[in-house]
Amino acid sequence: MTSMNEQMPPASTAAGVAGVAAREAVAPKRARRRYSADLSALGEPALWGFGGALALGIIMIAVFLMVVLYNGATTFWPKPIDRVELTDGTVIAGTERRGTLFRPQLAPLDAETRALIEENDGFAFRTLYQTANFDLYGDDFRWVADFETATITQPEDFYYFERQVWGVFIGRIAGMQIAGQQIDYDPAVFRREQAAARARFREIRQIERREIGRINHYIERERLAQRRAVLRQGEEAAQPAVLASQARIAELQAEFQVLQARVNEIRALDRSFTVTLEEVNGRQISPEISQIVRFFPANTLSIFDKIGIYLSRWWEFVSAEPREANTQGGVLPAIFGTVAMTLLMVVFVAPFGVITALYLREYAKQGRITSMVRISVNNLAGVPSIVYGVFGLGFFAYAMGGTIDQLFYPEALPNPTFGKGGILWASLTLALLTVPVVIVATEEALSAVPRSMREGSLACGASKWQTIRFVVLPKAMPGIMTGMILAMARGAGEVAPLMLVGVVKLAPALPIDGFAPFIHLDRSFMHLGFHIFDVGFQSRNSEAGKPMVFVTTLLLLALIIVMNATAIIVRNRLKRKYATGQF
Amino acid sequence: MSETAATPSTQDRAATARKRRMTTRASVKIGEKLAGGIITVGGLLVIVAVLGIMVFLIRVVLPLMSSGELQGSVRYQLDTNQDVIWVNADEFQTIGLALAAEGRVIAFHVPTGRELRRVQWDFDGATVTSVSGTVERDRIALGFDDGTVRFATLAVQNTSTARRNLPSGLTELDARDRVLDGVIFTEVGTGDFRTLEPVIELGASEQLSDQPIIGIDYRIGGTRDRPVVAFASIDAANQVRVSRSRTQVNMMTGAETITTTTTELPPLGLQPGVAPTGILISGNADRVLVSAGDGYIYRYDLRDANTPILAERVRVADDGVGVTAMTFLTAEDALVVGTEAGDVMVYFRLQTGTPDTTDGREMVRARTHLQMPAAVIDVSEAQRAKEFVAVDAEGNVWVYQSTADQVQFRLARSGAVTTDALAMIFPRSNGVMLASRGGEVEAWQYTVPHPEVTLRVLFGEVWYEGYNDQSFVWQSTAGTDTVEPKYSLVPLVFGTFKAAFYAMVFAVPIALMAAIYTSEFVDKRVRATVKPMMEMMESLPTVVLGFIAALVLAPLVEEWIGAVLLGFFALPMGLMIGAFAWQTLPAQVALRFDGFPKFALMGLSILITAWIASRLGVGLENLLFSGDFKQWTTGRIGTGTPFMFLILLPLSYFVTAWAFRKQFGHHFRDLIDGMDRSRAGLFDAARWITLLILAMILSYAVASLLTMIGYDPRGSFIDSYQQRNALVVGFIMAFAVIPNIYTLAEDALNSVPGHLRAASLACGATPWQTACWVVLPTAASGVFSAVMMGMGRAVGETMIVVMAAGNTPIMEWNIFSGLRTLSATIAIELPEAVRDGTNYRILFLAALTLFVMTFIINTGAELIRQRFRKRAFNL
Repeated sequence: MTSMNEQMPPASTAAGVAGVAAREAVAPKRARRRYSADLSALGEPALWGFGGALALGIIMIAVFLMVVLYNGATTFWPKPIDRVELTDGTVIAGTERRGTLFRPQLAPLDAETRALIEENDGFAFRTLYQTANFDLYGDDFRWVADFETATITQPEDFYYFERQVWGVFIGRIAGMQIAGQQIDYDPAVFRREQAAARARFREIRQIERREIGRINHYIERERLAQRRAVLRQGEEAAQPAVLASQARIAELQAEFQVLQARVNEIRALDRSFTVTLEEVNGRQISPEISQIVRFFPANTLSIFDKIGIYLSRWWEFVSAEPREANTQGGVLPAIFGTVAMTLLMVVFVAPFGVITALYLREYAKQGRITSMVRISVNNLAGVPSIVYGVFGLGFFAYAMGGTIDQLFYPEALPNPTFGKGGILWASLTLALLTVPVVIVATEEALSAVPRSMREGSLACGASKWQTIRFVVLPKAMPGIMTGMILAMARGAGEVAPLMLVGVVKLAPALPIDGFAPFIHLDRSFMHLGFHIFDVGFQSRNSEAGKPMVFVTTLLLLALIIVMNATAIIVRNRLKRKYATGQF
Repeated sequence: MSETAATPSTQDRAATARKRRMTTRASVKIGEKLAGGIITVGGLLVIVAVLGIMVFLIRVVLPLMSSGELQGSVRYQLDTNQDVIWVNADEFQTIGLALAAEGRVIAFHVPTGRELRRVQWDFDGATVTSVSGTVERDRIALGFDDGTVRFATLAVQNTSTARRNLPSGLTELDARDRVLDGVIFTEVGTGDFRTLEPVIELGASEQLSDQPIIGIDYRIGGTRDRPVVAFASIDAANQVRVSRSRTQVNMMTGAETITTTTTELPPLGLQPGVAPTGILISGNADRVLVSAGDGYIYRYDLRDANTPILAERVRVADDGVGVTAMTFLTAEDALVVGTEAGDVMVYFRLQTGTPDTTDGREMVRARTHLQMPAAVIDVSEAQRAKEFVAVDAEGNVWVYQSTADQVQFRLARSGAVTTDALAMIFPRSNGVMLASRGGEVEAWQYTVPHPEVTLRVLFGEVWYEGYNDQSFVWQSTAGTDTVEPKYSLVPLVFGTFKAAFYAMVFAVPIALMAAIYTSEFVDKRVRATVKPMMEMMESLPTVVLGFIAALVLAPLVEEWIGAVLLGFFALPMGLMIGAFAWQTLPAQVALRFDGFPKFALMGLSILITAWIASRLGVGLENLLFSGDFKQWTTGRIGTGTPFMFLILLPLSYFVTAWAFRKQFGHHFRDLIDGMDRSRAGLFDAARWITLLILAMILSYAVASLLTMIGYDPRGSFIDSYQQRNALVVGFIMAFAVIPNIYTLAEDALNSVPGHLRAASLACGATPWQTACWVVLPTAASGVFSAVMMGMGRAVGETMIVVMAAGNTPIMEWNIFSGLRTLSATIAIELPEAVRDGTNYRILFLAALTLFVMTFIINTGAELIRQRFRKRAFNL
């Protein structure tokens, strides 16, 4: 390897250069210099190959981002409802999803169609319609080939309903029942009643979630307190405490009965407000009006209506909870979980990363130990993320969490409190995963601090730590912030380890809520990245979930970019501050 | 922190007070010490973290390799007074039941040998000549010398008693158990008492033959609601009978209600003087096996119950060596055979399509276990594992694990060795009970945490039940407990490398070429925008990439496969056309538009060729692949020629180009020497087109030749098409890997000192020559380490493969088939694995394997990179 120096430039080039030189020497009389001495020396084809690779890379990213952006941004735009009559007499109604070329089976087709398809190399075009009405059809989608289609119309009386359960319904409104009275459909009345019904629905949900949730929480707490008392003091000694606690539980249960009665009352009222919907072939269903989240006459919308629906769907997406096995509704819990987990991770990763970088740069003597530390850092950076997940599950959740449970939460056993995946263990795992990013960035920032500043500080009589604390660290702060940003971006996008240490498809409760101690580090949580995986791959119909996945993808990318951008702004501000504040 | 306050005050004092304090305050000193300590410890924590991860993983994995531990044994004499012919025990090793030949049944406490209950069965003067039981050993069939059979129950009933219902007057047997009237009470964790009671019942006799029944086997199969009760018997005249009863009547308590249909099977055709030694029937009564003293096993096919067939006679031992014991392993796919010579073998019945047997199936010896020192006299299978215990004529008791092909225990006998004995494995496979004929009982207790796992199982080929040969199989979970778990990591490691390989095939050329171009051929402004863009790919979450791969790209590629294939050739071709066209431009024009316009043209040529490829894709399929590429890959239509033509095209081009340069290179150079640039460019383009045509001819000729000699790529790296395949995974994983390789390689190229470049250019070398012969060789090690780092990332990538790779643990290089990587397996299976179970530990082993693989790759890359840096600084 050491002979590399002598080998360069390689003999062939040397000879080539020499050859050109020699020719120049023997033909000095030629007046004009040639620039085209040897085309191969320019390597134009290779250059194009190299440049092409770069261009290809950029085109790939651009196409990728465009696919996500286009699909994500257009998902919520209301589409018209087509009423499609097929050549065999079937009628379907649905919104167009996408179209592809395909190779139809030729055998069952008539001669004319067959000839047409054969002319087209055996391909035909088909369109995927979202026919919705899963409760009636047992399927949400239907492929329709071009040659099957007889007529397509867009009837004005077709509505698009988003329902609380069973997904979308496409059809007409045949009638409604307001307070038990059967009346004809009137748009204004229906709109008013729908708003009222939704308000009732929200009230029920509010009572069930907030009030009953609170009661359940306290009952559970009392129950655990009883067990704890028994475990600590023995069955006899704990008797008074247990009795008092049982009394409290009885009180809570009485309260619960009251609330439950109220809920039942509203429910009963709600059942007298129904709407009769009729699908394209005349089959009817009569759901309660409160079940209809959103509805619009898809074929008669003005552009402002469309914008309104578009925005309201976006708002629902970022502010509501998911419904229909996560394929509809919003992703608020997932956004919350992602942000909470990432912030918690930063709390762990920041001190650890900075301290290690300080050790490497400021404290350690460069030698065998620092090179070992460096190799360790590189390995931490290179170990596959799933291995961290395995470690997190085995060590944090089972070993550490199990010990914590035995020491502090024996009353809940055998149900684990910390001895399972949770947001604490997830953020610790990710902290381990992202610590190399912070270390490397901090190290770079520390090494960029001029030596003169350190020496100046030391010369003024400051101690080593004082120098670091008041001179080096502030100066390096923007760089450290960069590292933190990169770590956050990496952490927010990582899914594989989280699947093992606490991410769930539907979290019953957020990690932060109104009950002491307010922050519940043991709870599992939802995550945007896992949401993508779950909806795209584990729902009953990945086609139905696909738009949701695109929007979530767009949101996740946006979140990562926004986190980056915010942090970059912070960094720039700090840079300015310290640029003027120091020396 | 105290020092925070210290400094300003020191400054204040310096400014205001004249008198300087010469000592450092204690708080500063303490702070200094504290900070130094914390930072040092914190810094070293990184090493601890890496080692900790490794140590922890190893610690979880290690119990897999433990060979099991013998926890103790007891030995006592039962008052049987006669030969013990059957034993049973419950799964808690509490109550044992022993049946003696003349009908005495003794229930005893297993740990102490205390007699709990004694029953004398009346056989009406007949003598037991054969005995057998179901897999659970609690229901037995007895054959007698007068040709009758009887059924009996030797079971232990398990109920639960609450503490307050506990009867009084219990006698303590040992630390665990208490007894009252032969019923044993054992306190369990929840405060209740497990109550075990022996159930000893004998059914009425039934005349089956006029000869003594010398062999019998008894099974209860079918479902719980519709049990199929069947038994096979053989009498002294070698007549084999199968009797079935499909009613739900309890055969034990009311034998008179049995409506048994008995079928006489075709004669065995034994040589005179050869006696049958054993008989077995399968649970659903479709197979009967008879072993004989001549070393043969006879197999009856009873799938059609009305026309039983003697399907096969298979020699399992040498001539004159008799088969002395046989039993099915659980699930009845494997037959354990023991011989007079001490051989212990496992046979599978495989569907081989052989013409030698009437049903196309064949008994094949799949495993030959370690030979016992003397004739095997008894084998008994475990109820829930692929284990069995064998006893030989010298009194050795060996416990075999069949899947792992190892002897788990050679149980040591305490006291005098009585040779004639029968053995059973306790239901939970955690001990063995041996009863010698004289009524001596010996019971061993052991624990084997993960009996089915050995290094050979994990990394070697194993012949699994139902498979036709040894193979590497990963199938950790199955529908039922009796399916043999298959834990070979090899298909997963293979899948990991396959995914990484195809990812690198895409990523390395693109990333390196792009890095070289960025570092050497574009100006700073372009670089400043292009590099962050490439790096932006790195922050793309892989879950997004995987989603796009699986739900967008995979269907798209499937639909446009012709265009995709064409694209691989069209894109380089388009760029080359651009390059040769560029060469024909006059020098001034070329110089003027060098830089960004040229780069934009490159991008444009890619877009145009991609569009053309999408138009012509179907045409390519029609032209080369009989109109349907996916059909073609299955090998049903067309030949391998067209594909080999495409594959060989680049190679042939290099060959022709090399040959041209060797033969006519200097002529050609002389020819274009002195021409102006445009004309030279035209000539060069003509040369290229000629070479290309020649290459196509050559490639087609070679491909045809290969087809002629019978080579077809289909079946190896090309095979039937699946939607989620290595092509898609490789392509999208390249997305994840390219930024890594690109950034590191670009950094390496950039850190080549500028004076080397300057010197080369000053000597008259073109930028291309400089890049190719000066910069690249100098940075080679750095670039190589970048590739290795990328490889490390590709090996560990999880979400993309989970979503887009189909997760089929198969071992083929077919680019159009799916794969399953170590990481994907962990992600899919670990959330459901039982803590500290076998699968859990094996998944930890998979993680450890990944860790070690990436550790080696990364450490290697890092060492190379450090060397490169040192050298680059020295230049």
